[in-house]
Amino acid sequence: MASIASIFALLAIAGFLILSAVKFAKYSKFNQHSRFDLYPVPKEGNGRGEYGGSYMEEDLWWEKPRSIDHAAELVDMGKEMFFIRKLFINQPSLWFPSMFFHGGIYFMMLFSVLLLVTAFVPSPVLETITATVAVFGFGFGTAGALMLLARRATDASLSAYTTPVEYFNLILVASTLITGIISWLSAANVFEVARSIVTFNFTELPAIVVVHLILLGIMLLYIPASKMGHYVGKFFTFHSVMWNNDPNLPGSSVNSAVKASNAAGATVKWGAPHISPAPAPEPEPIAEEA
Amino acid sequence: MSKDTKNLRPRDISRDVAVLSPTDDLKPLPSTFDASLEPEFKEFKEEWADTYCASLDGFVAIDTLKRPETKEEEEEFIRKFLAGLEKLFQDSNKNAIQPLALNMEFCAKCNTCSEACHIYEESNGDEIYRPSFRVDVLRRIYKKYFTSSGKMLGSLVGADVDLTWESIARLAELSYRCNLCRRCAQACPLGLDNGLAAREIRKIFSQEMGIAPKAIHEKGTELQLKVGSTTGLTTPAFIDTAEFIEEDIEERTGRAFKFPMDKEGADILLIHNAGEFIAWPDNPAAFAILLDEAGVDYTLSSEMCAYDGVNYGAWYDDVQAKKIAAKQFEVAKKLGVKRIVMGECGHAHKAIAVSADRMFAAEDKVPVESFLPLMLTLVREGRLKFDPSKNNFPVTLHDPCNYVRQMGIVQPQREIIRACTTDFREMTPHGVDNYCCGGGSGFAIMSNQNFADFRNHVSARKKLEQIINAFGDDFENPDVLKYVCAPCSNCKGTIRELLKDYKLTEKYNVQYSGLVELMVNALVSMEKPFFEFL
Repeated sequence: MASIASIFALLAIAGFLILSAVKFAKYSKFNQHSRFDLYPVPKEGNGRGEYGGSYMEEDLWWEKPRSIDHAAELVDMGKEMFFIRKLFINQPSLWFPSMFFHGGIYFMMLFSVLLLVTAFVPSPVLETITATVAVFGFGFGTAGALMLLARRATDASLSAYTTPVEYFNLILVASTLITGIISWLSAANVFEVARSIVTFNFTELPAIVVVHLILLGIMLLYIPASKMGHYVGKFFTFHSVMWNNDPNLPGSSVNSAVKASNAAGATVKWGAPHISPAPAPEPEPIAEEA
Repeated sequence: MSKDTKNLRPRDISRDVAVLSPTDDLKPLPSTFDASLEPEFKEFKEEWADTYCASLDGFVAIDTLKRPETKEEEEEFIRKFLAGLEKLFQDSNKNAIQPLALNMEFCAKCNTCSEACHIYEESNGDEIYRPSFRVDVLRRIYKKYFTSSGKMLGSLVGADVDLTWESIARLAELSYRCNLCRRCAQACPLGLDNGLAAREIRKIFSQEMGIAPKAIHEKGTELQLKVGSTTGLTTPAFIDTAEFIEEDIEERTGRAFKFPMDKEGADILLIHNAGEFIAWPDNPAAFAILLDEAGVDYTLSSEMCAYDGVNYGAWYDDVQAKKIAAKQFEVAKKLGVKRIVMGECGHAHKAIAVSADRMFAAEDKVPVESFLPLMLTLVREGRLKFDPSKNNFPVTLHDPCNYVRQMGIVQPQREIIRACTTDFREMTPHGVDNYCCGGGSGFAIMSNQNFADFRNHVSARKKLEQIINAFGDDFENPDVLKYVCAPCSNCKGTIRELLKDYKLTEKYNVQYSGLVELMVNALVSMEKPFFEFL
């Protein structure tokens, strides 16, 4: 059982990456769409990103070189990815548990990488750092998941919209983290278990560790298939929708894509009368005079 | 308002009640406004409920959405709705499928969007007006009928909305309780766009079922495509109107000018909202005076759709939007102009400059720009000389959503106002964080049944509050003339109704108009005031 759980966890890591890539590919194929610019767009140069301005503030903008501030875009992305800035500004009371939750996940990702390194490069110093990161990851992640669960269940404005499966999402993450905490605090040495798994040298494991590994595998496979895969979606909502304000000018890649899209046409047609008018009735045959 | 209707769930859209959520608990207006001046609601007529869908909140937006007379008609209605919903996710909708699919899949249901919405705020938190409510109804229907998880797991994944004529009609009405200002999308931590999704709901009804408010479809895009303008102005009538304005303005102000018409090879094709020629003729006249004074080579067009820059398709129907934009580009190409400049109309700006940008190959278009950067260039180059003391009254600026949040044109209008006035006061908030006037997405021109009440009491309430607050202590003093600069026809129409219905002009001396009128009034070369209220 231990070896099956170990292999499942390993496969789940690969599955997580593959399923995330599949989801990314699914949304990539829809990339050519209308413009839905929404300002501020941080990449707008000449200081415009700061107040929400764009190149369209220029007279004859298409004749002028476009100023794009990649650094400002990166800074904005960083604030959003790591600190969920929009939530902090617009709903601080929810930001606190959400930041715990997401911060915990980031620490857990770092913990996973460090754990992998320690498996191949044993080092007491590295193990101490890894263990410290794990404390933050398990601690913040579990606290965040439980706080979000409590908030969602008790806040009527959230519970009205929350489906059973959305509670399940948080319960799954919390269960995985809690079984991890119990496993690594009381049942097994995380470094030894990690080393045995990545070197395919499977050993017997306590039941709680087996449960943890199975939950971990389920969670890794489930996340990209669920709305928790929003790390993929968020890339597109920002870069492909809100911040995608590249104009359609002659010779541009946008123009090529527009031409290709128009040439491809649509296989499905809308049915309203002003789009697909009903065919004119056949004229009555004129009876020949006898 | 009972707690029961404040705590509605999305699946309650199909609840069997006469009115799901009556709008009877609005946020009070600022104390500097005399609350007794607030107009009464129009008396509700039972026949509206018998004929249309008035069961959402007691208002009727869609005067073509008629109750079915037989069970078969209801079943056909449901079938067509589902067909339209499916088409939103097929190649028939490839210009919007990505943002819509992202919204359907990833919304975290955090409701962060709610506080950004002026309609939700001003209704004191009516659940149905949350930006997420209508989209979650759509999501639940989509899951139930078009996803394997919804078909297998049902209510466990939220696939729990019952489809009847009433629930679908309420969803249609709900799509017309959103100004499409997209302020909610700015607030979303995941970047999801509930404003855009509201427009997608409207598309199901228009593009598949042929259902849309008459004001924007039959008397809007269809009329524009038939005669050339949503105003009903034909080419000869437009030319007559333009000539009349030339004479009238010269008589009143002493300033002579001519509208250049159909001039081939001009630098600029200037396209106005034709409503300006009828409702606010000072506006196109002010453009003509400014461009003449600065020596700009421009022309107007008298051809179909090019003397009316509006494109109501931007609010509800991609196909109509494309047809109108195609005609406008066609005229510009035929005239051989180097650029199209849009006059003071927000949605017309976005429709042709942004929404239509990827509808056609670049070679089939003409570059488009807003009048704002052009005017700023003329000001900076000293081609327009102002005496700001001619505008020595408090001026506040309403930011049309389409200029700021949806195009990123924020500073030019401010620099111009500072150059031609002495007392500019920003609204709070402003720029890309502005609030919609309340007339966005068609509301400004929809007055069927009692819908004007929804606009004037609910969707425009936040703007009214902002106008009152922008003038501070001066608001209550009728001896101080106060000016609301609204450089967009639809916004101006909404604000006109607010000032009239709430007696802001009569009791508080609050005036309104556009930006170019303010500029002309400050021109050193103008011998008489341009504003009639001066």
